Amino acid sequence: MSPTTSDTTLTATLEPLLPGYLGRQRWYSGAAPTSVAVVACETLAPGLEWLLADAGGARYQVVVGLRPAGSAPDFLSGNDQAVIGVVGDEIAFDATFDPDYAKTLLHLVAPGEDATLVRPMGAEQSNTSLVIDDRLVLKVFRRLHDGANPDVEIPTALAARGFAHVAAPVGVWQRDGVDLAVCAQYLAGGAEGWALALTSLRDLYGAGVDDAGAAGGDFGAEASRLGEVTAELHLALADAFGTSPGDAAAWAAGVEAQMGRLADGDFDSVAAKEFVERLRAVDRPGAALRAHGDYHLGQVMRTDAGWFVLDFEGEPARSLEERRRPSSPFKDVAGMLRSFQYAAAVALSERDEGEQERLAPLAGAWENRNRLAFLGGYLGTDGIDALLPEPGADRSAVLAAFEFDKAVYEVLYERAHRPAWVEIPLRAVRRLLDAQE
Amino acid sequence: MTAFEATSDTSWFQRAVFYEVLVRGFYDANHDGTGDLKGLTEKLDYIEWLGIDCLWLLPFYQSPLRDGGYDISDFFTILPEYGDLADAVGLVEEAHRRGIRIIADLVMNHTSDAHPWFQESRQDRTNPRADWYVWSDDPEQWSEARIIFVDTEHSNWTWDPVRQQYYWHRFFSHQPDLNFDNPEVQQAMIDVVRFWLDIGLDGFRLDAVPYLYERDGTNGENLPESHDYLKLLRKEVDAAFPGKVLLAEANQWPADVVDYFGEGDECHMCFHFPLMPRMFMAIRREQRYPITEILAQTPEIPEGCQWAIFLRNHDELTLEMVTDEERDYMYTEYAKDPRMKRNVGISRRLAPLVDNDRRVAELLHAMLFSMPGSPILYYGDEVGMGDNIYLGDRDGVRTPMQWTPDRNGGFSKADFAQLYLPPLMDPVYGYQAVNVEAEQRNPSSQLHWTRRMLEVRRQHPLFGTGSFEIVPTENPSVLAYLRCQDNDLVLCVNNLSRFAQPAELPLQRHAGKTPIELMGRVPFPKVGELPYFVTLNPYAFYWFQLVDM
Repeated sequence: MSPTTSDTTLTATLEPLLPGYLGRQRWYSGAAPTSVAVVACETLAPGLEWLLADAGGARYQVVVGLRPAGSAPDFLSGNDQAVIGVVGDEIAFDATFDPDYAKTLLHLVAPGEDATLVRPMGAEQSNTSLVIDDRLVLKVFRRLHDGANPDVEIPTALAARGFAHVAAPVGVWQRDGVDLAVCAQYLAGGAEGWALALTSLRDLYGAGVDDAGAAGGDFGAEASRLGEVTAELHLALADAFGTSPGDAAAWAAGVEAQMGRLADGDFDSVAAKEFVERLRAVDRPGAALRAHGDYHLGQVMRTDAGWFVLDFEGEPARSLEERRRPSSPFKDVAGMLRSFQYAAAVALSERDEGEQERLAPLAGAWENRNRLAFLGGYLGTDGIDALLPEPGADRSAVLAAFEFDKAVYEVLYERAHRPAWVEIPLRAVRRLLDAQE
Repeated sequence: MTAFEATSDTSWFQRAVFYEVLVRGFYDANHDGTGDLKGLTEKLDYIEWLGIDCLWLLPFYQSPLRDGGYDISDFFTILPEYGDLADAVGLVEEAHRRGIRIIADLVMNHTSDAHPWFQESRQDRTNPRADWYVWSDDPEQWSEARIIFVDTEHSNWTWDPVRQQYYWHRFFSHQPDLNFDNPEVQQAMIDVVRFWLDIGLDGFRLDAVPYLYERDGTNGENLPESHDYLKLLRKEVDAAFPGKVLLAEANQWPADVVDYFGEGDECHMCFHFPLMPRMFMAIRREQRYPITEILAQTPEIPEGCQWAIFLRNHDELTLEMVTDEERDYMYTEYAKDPRMKRNVGISRRLAPLVDNDRRVAELLHAMLFSMPGSPILYYGDEVGMGDNIYLGDRDGVRTPMQWTPDRNGGFSKADFAQLYLPPLMDPVYGYQAVNVEAEQRNPSSQLHWTRRMLEVRRQHPLFGTGSFEIVPTENPSVLAYLRCQDNDLVLCVNNLSRFAQPAELPLQRHAGKTPIELMGRVPFPKVGELPYFVTLNPYAFYWFQLVDM
């Protein structure tokens, strides 16, 4: 991307404000940078500036709105984090908070579309999304990478193939081959799988039954349908991006590397080595394909038209190249299975400590019931077998290895971000190792 | 309420609240143990007080009563136990005087095998009515047509030893199907309709309309010929009796049911069957998708038409249109007792279906009264009557109306042993605990609550004919929607969970308006530029009118 500078004075004024601003953003990973360089700047419309900021090698997109200082606009009240600072006699802020500038952005991304009402979509980790008239979602990417963004590339390819369980993009904004923003259909009336799972669990824990299937809020049928949609997703991805033979040795090396980052005392390292060896020895590990990559209950949405799959960016901590690398479809399956344990544990943690011991068996029963239901729906889908390892020992070994890999990743993540939660994945790591004996 | 002009209002059914009555079970005026038309007439003051716009009477025709009167043996005669034609005229006049309309069940598809038409038809293959029913030598013909009453019937054909031929019946073998390919049969049914409309009835609930015709290579349901006949019937009715209504019973998926509206030139109303079991399921699952999913699959209906929606009726919980998985689910939840399995459904009243939880009963009614369609109440549900599953077949939900804590629940002065069915006497649902008199005296009763809800509903025609729009919210346990007509705008918010729930509703489009809760007229904080935040108690609901203040 070539640095273009529309207003050197503005750039010079903004540059020193950016480290503090970036450090306040949810979508900025890590501590506030010490310095930020503006590598490109362009005026999109009067008062609307587009910046490309380099913070220690990572590049971020910042869309700056400018309004006369003194009378702070309403949309900034309660949103201090959106304010970049004062530039001359103007206040500079994140333009996605400004309904008027958001409309200007929409016209850039999806020229045919118009908006009357724009609202932010709520807390998001790595991007900024705006809901347009409960009809469209405008997603502005924050951290930019060279090359196609999977969150644009994959839904576009899936929608073109008639896969109905993804929000179809209606417009993309690109520069020099880099995706900056995408506008897609809004899934009105949808609720996250995570919210539905918690609804089910809260019902179960409050129901006074001892059978997870007998509670009114049973999630089993939903989990089964989710399994079917997941299998259809993988079949569509295989069709769109092709497949290659899976490489058990390479996958084993990946698990091993991940494992190496855990402390020795976390688990029985001998058992873990056996685990890896079992994966390495798998003869026919199934296909490798472009998978979702960061698949869990928070990435799927229940709508009136069934389950939809969201957010194809992959795990944000990994490089783009890594995220685009083909993997076993079991990587996604494992991600969802892990999510069932998380949901059961998180809902359990909401309860009074005195109750938790009594309810723990129900949490296990819920997880198990929905694991089986999800796998039943997934494995029962026509055509999916062709992408998977041979049924039997090979299949179990590959699935367990990806679950293990995911659980180890979670242990590392929780240690760094949410130490109180580290027991959840640690329990899973130990359970997986115990199960193989 | 003032008496209405019979012909001036032709869209009344779009805003009406219906009340389904079993004449046999409502009130016994002549003390013979069976309810009658005179008894119903005596209770019209109660119906008016409750706020009902239209009665739906179960069949009152001459019948051997092998299928609750749906086996008609004379279309022009009242079942003697119920009274006579003069009683029917008296009932209609008294109802109309109170502004209440009356529709009645009419079975067109078949008759009783005791009907003189059938007795004549079966004599030989050449008599004048030989062709009035569907006869064949081949019991394998039309084998694609499913058998509806699988518990009792093995085939849609039954051998008649008199005529030495098989006759066709989509329901019980004692209910032969009329042959609608015969123009004489078509005319005969139109004559029946005209007869009752002349007397003053305001319309019909047309039983089993998808099955009128049979054709090779089809399943014999929803055939174009059936639609053509209904259109013909509608034309006759409109020409001579404007303002009368035809309500089709077509237990099919909504996309097929809408065909019975035609282009607004067939039936005025159709039942929305799948909505009901899904309302129960949504509360069980504590999430809205069972409801919103079926509404999303419900097509728009033509101008001047209306859905009929209900929570319970005289039949079993209709599960025909839910998937197998859902049917299993409904069985395990609501029918732990195998005696309650009847055909593919369950005969239960509302109160026992919801474990007598008044909060759930009220929530279900609040949704029924505010969703698109005209609600139909089942007699007795307004006071929370129970059922008696040990009475067998569908009788469990047809016990006498409970009027007072006196003998026989105030339903009849006959000897107890003479009653057509014993009234409920158990400590929870029995007439001593649950009855109209007691609930009328108690201002916090379910009866008073229902009456107040109907009053509020009547103040806002949008509940009948307004637009309907789901308001998305991230909490899956909350179902919110907007009803709108002209300048009237009502927001309904329902908590399907047994736990308290919060909801953020994107109402920015209505920023500046003040929500006023419609039961108590309490103004709530104004809608602003942020999502509107509400909290709901377990199974709570709100109806807010959004107004400029």
